[in-house]
Parts: sequence; C-alpha cells; structure tokens
Amino acid sequence: MTDAVGETSKDATAVNGLDTSANSSAGGVAAAPASSGGDAACGACGAALRSGDAFCENCGAAASGGTTGSPPDSPVGSPADPSAAAPPTPESVSNPASMSMPAPGAPNCRACGGAVLDDGFCGTCGERGRLPRDHWLEAPAPQLAGVCDKGIRHARNEDGMALGVAGTGASVAVVCDGVTTAPQSDRASLAAARAAAALLLDAAPAAQGSFAARIERWTALLGEACRSANEVAIGVARTLGDPPEPPSCTFAAGVVDPDGLVAFAWCGDSRVYWLPDDGNAVVSVDHSLGAAMIAEGMDPDEAARQPGFHTITRWLGADSVDPHAEVVTLGPVGPGWLLVCSDGLWNYAPDATALAGRLAAARAEVGSFDPGALAEALVAWANGCGGHDNITVALARYQPSTTADATASGQPGRP
Amino acid sequence: MATFTAEVFQNEYLPEGATEVNAVVTVTSSGTGGVVASGPASVAEMIIIDSSGSMDMPGTKMVAARRAAQAAIDEIVDGALFAVLAGNTGAQVVYPREPGLVPMDERTRAEAKQWIDTIRPGGATTLGAWLDVARSMFLTSGARQCHAVLLTDGKQEGEPPAALDQALSAADGVFQCDCRGIGEGWVVEQLRRISTALLGTVDIVADPANLAADFGEIMRNSMARGVADVRLRVWAPEGSQVRFVRQVAPQVDDLTGRGIAVSPLIREFPTGAWADESRDYHVAVAVPIAPIGSERLAARVELVVDDQVQAKGLVRAVWSENTDLTTRINPSVAHYTGQAELASAIQDGLAARRDGDERTATLKLGRAAQLAHESGNDATIRLLQKVVDIDDPDAGTVRLKRQVAAADEMALDTRSTKTIRVHKEP
Repeated sequence: MTDAVGETSKDATAVNGLDTSANSSAGGVAAAPASSGGDAACGACGAALRSGDAFCENCGAAASGGTTGSPPDSPVGSPADPSAAAPPTPESVSNPASMSMPAPGAPNCRACGGAVLDDGFCGTCGERGRLPRDHWLEAPAPQLAGVCDKGIRHARNEDGMALGVAGTGASVAVVCDGVTTAPQSDRASLAAARAAAALLLDAAPAAQGSFAARIERWTALLGEACRSANEVAIGVARTLGDPPEPPSCTFAAGVVDPDGLVAFAWCGDSRVYWLPDDGNAVVSVDHSLGAAMIAEGMDPDEAARQPGFHTITRWLGADSVDPHAEVVTLGPVGPGWLLVCSDGLWNYAPDATALAGRLAAARAEVGSFDPGALAEALVAWANGCGGHDNITVALARYQPSTTADATASGQPGRP
Repeated sequence: MATFTAEVFQNEYLPEGATEVNAVVTVTSSGTGGVVASGPASVAEMIIIDSSGSMDMPGTKMVAARRAAQAAIDEIVDGALFAVLAGNTGAQVVYPREPGLVPMDERTRAEAKQWIDTIRPGGATTLGAWLDVARSMFLTSGARQCHAVLLTDGKQEGEPPAALDQALSAADGVFQCDCRGIGEGWVVEQLRRISTALLGTVDIVADPANLAADFGEIMRNSMARGVADVRLRVWAPEGSQVRFVRQVAPQVDDLTGRGIAVSPLIREFPTGAWADESRDYHVAVAVPIAPIGSERLAARVELVVDDQVQAKGLVRAVWSENTDLTTRINPSVAHYTGQAELASAIQDGLAARRDGDERTATLKLGRAAQLAHESGNDATIRLLQKVVDIDDPDAGTVRLKRQVAAADEMALDTRSTKTIRVHKEP
C-alpha cells in the first residue's frame, strides 16, 4: 500500500523527531519525552498541547514538533503536519460551506473520499482521519525495528512502543499495552514504554566483561525499568486528577547485547519471545488468569475458551497491586530473533512454535532479515486474522559477529 | 472581549449496530460586557403593557403594570433606544411622542415615566397586532439587538386567532420577547408560543405587587447581554438524521424545527443574545451504522457569532464490542433526558386534567413527581404539590387535588420547562 508506506515513514519521523530519547538516549537523555514547546496546538484538532505531550490529549494525533517546521515529506494539511498546528483562522472556518469543502491539499477520508477537516474528522461522513498513532514504524538500526498498529476492531491504538540501540550496541525494545477500559491508557502505555526504554538505553552495561556480571546488571536494570514505567503510568493518572479508573498498561521489555546476552522482563500479558534459528524458543509466561489455568493443568485450548482467560493479574498503573516484572536471562545465544509483542499478535498464534512458524513465513514473504519489513508483515497477518486488538511487534535480530554480514546484507538465509 | 467555550458530555461508545448518538453540549460565555460593550445605540428595548379593559378588573393590575413599566425604564442604560406601547385593540405608542424609538437619557426617561402614568384601560387583547407594531418599529430603528417585554392579563381576542402565528413568523429573528401573565385570565399556551418563538421567557406574576421587581429583573438581564444573534451551528454526517436539538438548561426549549439549513449537512439554530451565562444543549443524531472499531463524528456543534466560529464541540461515535464501555450511561444525558420528560409530563398531565381525563392526568403528574424527586428539582416538586398530593415520590404515586387555584396550575405549567443543572463530571 503506497499511502501506508508514506504514512509510516512520516509517522516515524514525527515520533522520533519529538521523542529525542528514542534516538539519543544512548547519550543519556532523560526518560521523559522532549517538550513540544510552550503553547503549541495540535495539528489535527487545534487543542492546546501540554509541554511534554507526545500525542494530543484531545484527539490522539502526534504532537509532531508543533512549532518546529514541517518534515519535507509531510503532505500539507495532514494531521501530522506542523504547519497545521496553529488554531484555525476565523477566515478558514467562518464560511459554513468551508466545513464541507476540501481545504487545499487536505487528506482524503478513507471511508468516503471526502476531505478530512482540521478537527481530524471527515467533513462529509465524519470518519476519523488516520492518526500517526494508528500505525507507526520505528527502525533505529538495521537489526532492530518495530511496528505499532491500531488493528481493526479497536477505535484507538492504546499500545505503546519504544526502541533503541544503546551506545554499547545492545538492542532494547519495550512494549506496553494500554488497558482499554481505563480511559487515557494510550497515554500511559506510550509514556511508560518510553521511560523504560530510555532507562535501559542510558544504563546499558558494556558488552565486554564477565557474562555473569552483565546478567546481574541487566536483571537489575529491567526491574528498575519496570518501576520507572510504573511511576510514569501513575504520573499520567495524577495529571488526569486521579480518575477512579486510572490509566494502566502492561509491560514487556527485551534486550539482546552484541555478545549474545538475552534478557527480558514482563508484567501482564504482553510477551517476549527468544526465537533462535535452531528452534528452541523461550517465551515469557503471562501474568493472567489464562496462564494460571494452564499452569494448573488445564488444556491451553480449553483455557483460551474461559471467560477470564485474558484477565491480567499484573499491570502498571495507579491501581496496580503487583506492578513488578518477572525477569529471564539467557545466553550466550546463537543467531535468532528477540520478539516483543502485545496480545494483538500472539492471540493468533498463542503457542511459541506457531509464532516462530509465522515469523518464518514472514521471512519467506519478505525475502530479507529486515526487521521493519518483518514486523509489518506480522502486523498485516494479525490484521488479516481479524485485528481484534491493537498489535505491536518489535523485532531484534541477533547474529553472532562471525555471521553479522547476513544481517546487514539483508540476504535471505536460514530462518 | 467575549469568549465562548463548548464542552461535550457523552458516552461515545456504541455497541455493534447502534446508530443513535446522544450528547449534552455545555456552552459558556464570558466577558460579554453587556449592552455597554456592544454599543447601546445598537440596542433597542420595547415595553408592551396590556391596557385592555380587563386590566381595570381589579384596577390594581393597571396600577402595577404602570409601576412595572417605570421600573423597567429605570434599568435601560443611557444611549439604548426604547419605546413604550400600550396594547389594547391594536397598539398605541405611549412614548416617544414622535415616530420611532428614542435614545434613553435623563430627559426621555423622565418623560416616558410621565406618559406611562397616562395609560388607561379599554379595548381588546390583540396580541398579534401588538407584536406587529413592535416588529415594524424595531425594523425601522436600525438596532441589531432588539428585545421586548410583554405584559398581559388576558387571552388573545379582537383579532383572528391566526394573527398571532402570522405575527410570530414575521417577528422571528427581529426581536426577542419575554412574556409575563398577570392574574388568571391569560392562556399559558399563547404566551409560551410567543416566548418560545421569540427566544424569551414566560412566567406568571400572580400578585401584582411583585410585577415591578420582576420587570426590573427582566430588563437588567437584557442589559447584561453583550453579544447579539448567537447561533448554534450543527453539522451532522451525510446519511444521518438530527433527531433533535434541544436546549435543556436553564430551561427546556426544543429547537429542532427552528434550524436554518446553511448547507446540506449544516443547520443553524438562533439562540438570541447572550450575557455571561451557560446553557446546555442536548443533541441526538441517528448516524449510519459503522463497523466495530470505527470512530466517526456524529456532530460538530459550534457557537457562531457574525458567521465566526467562537467555540466548537465534537460529538463522537465509537463502535466497540467492549460492553464495559458501551453500557455506560452518561449522567448529563440521562439527567436532561429526564428533565425534558419532566416538562412534557407536567404539560401533558395538566392538559389531561383540563380535559377531564383524570386517569392520564394522574399518571402523567405522578411520573412528573417521580422525575422531579429523582433529580432533586425541589422547585418543581413544590409547584406540583399545589396540584397533586404526592403519596410516594419514589413510585410516582399521586392523587389529584380537588381544589386547585388557577394561578397554581398556571405557575406549574409556565415553570414546567425550568430545569436544574446536572452536577458535571470532572
């Protein structure tokens, strides 16, 4: 899809452009997203943006720089276009006819082809225009990329994702899945993911030195990252005046360092998989009633049919009673994939072998090791299965240094 | 500088297949500055006093009406244009003594009060003719914010009944009119028709002694309005149907039929002039079905002054399979749905009572008692208690009183549309 590709790269620009921590946290930038400026207004809906907001609180559009100028590839008038960030002038909205007339260069509505207005909705059928948050790709390095997608059946993307490569060469991926029934969980999930990733990237230990010492260090760091993410999620609730249903989210973080150390942590039912090329997959065990049923011996297929299967027992947020991460470390490992995802993906392949099979199928389809293309393919597959939930897929390729060329060259090879 | 804000209260989540979207939009204005800010010369006031023969029975009514007109005169700010009409068979200009309206100043104020004392009762109650005279005088005045206060003690007579509706459609958009009925010989429905069409209020003043204070307040309220001709502009998507647009606070007023189409998807509803105030509107739109996961606008609700959008509220529809979300009831929508039902239950109940249909009257007024009790609308409960004995407010069980003062029934009827504000969500 041509427009999807255009949208994607623009979204990545918007997200990375705003969140300096995603690109430069290896250099020690603080966890909070960078300020978007004092009195900036949302480019999609015109609402005032708070300093530090990555997305508009009102409409969810990316707070793309606000006042810093347009990325060259942004279509004029698109929701992410900073030139549209100023509140509409009286002239542009005063004529009643203008409400249903396309502004020059206005994007077209996906549903009816009408013009999407500066409030972010179609002027003809009312369909919400595509938001940067609906689908975005981050690809900070050739071996690391992720895609975060709204899916089909949810109206908003409440998944959050943050990726980066530390100065030490370690790939870091964090996925947080916002709880739909708690309003504004989309804010919590993104802020939490970014805080955790920033902490991990900032404090990543050098790859050389004692493996055991690094394992110890990463284990501690992952616990700290989860605590930091929880504090940020609670902070979001606080800025909302501590609502009775505070925004909350899951947490899943994975790292793989250049020496084959794999470490991951999770809280809730977002998952981390280590999928080695030789097939012995390792996967996190959900903090959910479903996982508890299986642990007590219930057949997984039968458990999946139980009403409480998806009820999580741990999460981050102001109302969490157990916001703690479980940590697993592996290695040194051989070549393989670290996959961090939300349940929007694994619902369609709950079993690690099945998911590894999907990844192999995606590899065959894409014809390369490009993690961005593979993440897109897996997201497209989950949407093809129904897209019942938001879908986030982050992939980090680990290739021992002797075979590192395969990663960079993108040649098809062994799965 | 006047500023407007619009705030939307709704549950935007709809289950699969649902099409009806309801929202309460609270519009608040501040810094309107009153007529001094908008320029008194662009403001025109008319005081229309019934001087038909019945005003002499008893004579205290005519005396009170003169005092009330003089109290209103005292509130009109210097520079505003004004005139005083005496309504009987036709309408006579009591003041000014030359054609047209005159600016208020020390001299014209004193003269007008003297001329008001010369009003003598005699003749019929030709409400339509009174409004026609007021309309043509307002039109020639050149003022853009025109307001009248009309006092009568009787029902329309001395002209064909259709004259009133004709006068109202001619006056629509020319001026606003607050109506007051004195005594028990006037018809609530007639004055409500005038006040509704001309964006004003209606009330009963049972005791002539209270009339001057009431007129003073009406005129003070009018003088506080600094922004003329505010419109509520409602966009709804293609293929949708705006089921109703209803003002629900401070009083219920169904605007649905009064929209002016400005484009195929947009209608504007006149709301008159605004002081610093807050009004709530309940908007209901039937939208085309959309799949689960869709998010669409069901309405854009804007406040428009001089064709400039001052505030905008977005009414959304999000189709979800999450029943935790779709089954939530928005308290504002529920509250005002109840208040609108309360108003119609009272009006229907009183109409049934007049028609001798005691069963319907008992049911409707019982439902009214229940709704008023549930929502804590104590003022309405007190008015209801003069017409029915409330046995069980929770269940809505009432008995019609055998002896009801006409003024009490009229007070309940005229004030049935007064709502109480909902306690807003944070």
